[in-house]
Amino acid sequence: MNKFASALWAETLKARRSKTPLLTAIGFTLAPLMAGLFMLIMKDPERARDMGLLSTKAQLAMTTAEWPTFLGMLTQAVAIAGMILFSIVTSWVFGREFSDRTAKDLLALPTSRETIVTAKLVVVCAWGFATTIFIFALGLLIGDLVDIPGWTVALATQTFSDVLVTAGMLFLLMTPVAFIASLGRGYLPPLGWAVLTIFFSQIIAALGWGDWFPWSVPALFSGVVGPRSAQLGIHSYVAVFLTGFAGLAATYVYWRTADQTK
Amino acid sequence: MNYAIETDNVSKSFGSVHAVDNVSLRVDRGEIYAFLGLNGAGKTTTIRMLLGMIRPSAGNVKVLGQFIGHQGNGSGPWAQVGHLVESPSNYPELTVRENLEIARRLQGVKNPKATDEVMDQLVLASYADRKSGTLSLGNLQRLGLARALLHHPELIILDEPANGLDPAGIVEIRKLLASLAHEHGATIFMSSHILTEVDKLADRIGIVHKGRLIEELDADRLEAMRSLQLTIRTRDLVKAQEVLTSRQYKTATIDDSRLIVKDREAVDSPELIATILVQAGTPPTHLAVEQENLEEYFLRLTKMDVVNV
Repeated sequence: MNKFASALWAETLKARRSKTPLLTAIGFTLAPLMAGLFMLIMKDPERARDMGLLSTKAQLAMTTAEWPTFLGMLTQAVAIAGMILFSIVTSWVFGREFSDRTAKDLLALPTSRETIVTAKLVVVCAWGFATTIFIFALGLLIGDLVDIPGWTVALATQTFSDVLVTAGMLFLLMTPVAFIASLGRGYLPPLGWAVLTIFFSQIIAALGWGDWFPWSVPALFSGVVGPRSAQLGIHSYVAVFLTGFAGLAATYVYWRTADQTK
Repeated sequence: MNYAIETDNVSKSFGSVHAVDNVSLRVDRGEIYAFLGLNGAGKTTTIRMLLGMIRPSAGNVKVLGQFIGHQGNGSGPWAQVGHLVESPSNYPELTVRENLEIARRLQGVKNPKATDEVMDQLVLASYADRKSGTLSLGNLQRLGLARALLHHPELIILDEPANGLDPAGIVEIRKLLASLAHEHGATIFMSSHILTEVDKLADRIGIVHKGRLIEELDADRLEAMRSLQLTIRTRDLVKAQEVLTSRQYKTATIDDSRLIVKDREAVDSPELIATILVQAGTPPTHLAVEQENLEEYFLRLTKMDVVNV
């Protein structure tokens, strides 16, 4: 435990001193801001057209400016933007050790390599959840400012738990990103991997097999393509969990056994 | 005998490249062992195998009595090993103190003053609160050495410790390493391609070339192994060379505005050479029996090896 506390202290210090957490949080605030802007437009489309916010030809998919729509948008934004956010964070936490050539100083220590990898994943998890909760809180504030109808505490609670489950699934999907950052020794391979999985998650979901493809599951869960229950089953969550476990095992094995020549 | 470092026929290949080939090392406790070789000779790969960062393709590695290989860290001898591998690395956005504080905690050193002590030891105290990304190469090297020495290890493994240091810094680090070995009983295994460094510091020297340990000798024996030569300067080097080669001194060669003669007779009786040159009308302006320098010895040794291969 003592060694784990030391490793966690070290990882937290690195994250605190980096500009990456702040930049990812700022980038992520676009999600509730955009949702809020949509609500403003929906409330009064004519006025939005007059202000030039909306093209006169625009067809709006959503029909009503109210809390259920707004919170739904927020959950979907967490699922999609969150995949990008979590991937950037994971790529940074693992990839930087190789880009800065500091990985070699983490290998021959009384603190085991597994302990260091675990501390890194804890930081990714805490960072991702903290940003997600911040975005949700900001969303509530924006919704309140835009002044839309339909608020209930039960709805907000349900949305909050959905957001947390989405973030949890995203975190599980980050262990392969950690593995690829280690294997590829830098930032670019894991970011490339993230782009690829996001791309395929869209295609495979569109083909109707998204419930079997782990990277499509968070978006389907958040209701991007309609109500959740329609497609997802227990097998979808098992697929996400198994992916997380496989990524974790691969990362541990890699740190323990691979030749570290850089 | 319980050695600090013991390797038995250790080899490492990366694909078809044999980076390290059958190296057997024995480093006694308390000794300063220099691992000498040109760039790409296999020094860093050997050091990484000693530290469990690379697995040998064949052979065994034992450090401080423990086999290295599959256990990774945590269960190895690492609390008693300090290391600096290749270029010193750091977290550029953290200060010098924070970088060392991370090392202190991961090394499991309880004493919170250890960081300050090692900064004093390596004259880094005035940079303690500077971001390490702004340090000069020399100070980065000091930071790397500080990380290696922070926990007072029994065995210190250093890859090119003099890299980036200015001449005064080199002397200072040399003194520090000598005192760690001779006064505190630490074992030091250092790689280098700077031969004069090794000459002054090491108790024993291993010369590695193309992955193979081609020579291992005590530092005082190195003195004896280096051949003697007669160095001559004269106003007309070409004429002097002609005169000497026309006699029995076949080895006379011009090198960097000097005439070098390695024949035993010349080294033993330089006065004969002087007489010959005076009679030929090219009197020497400088005549000295010198020991072959380390670089020449080293190149002679590695060239011999090339011929043998």
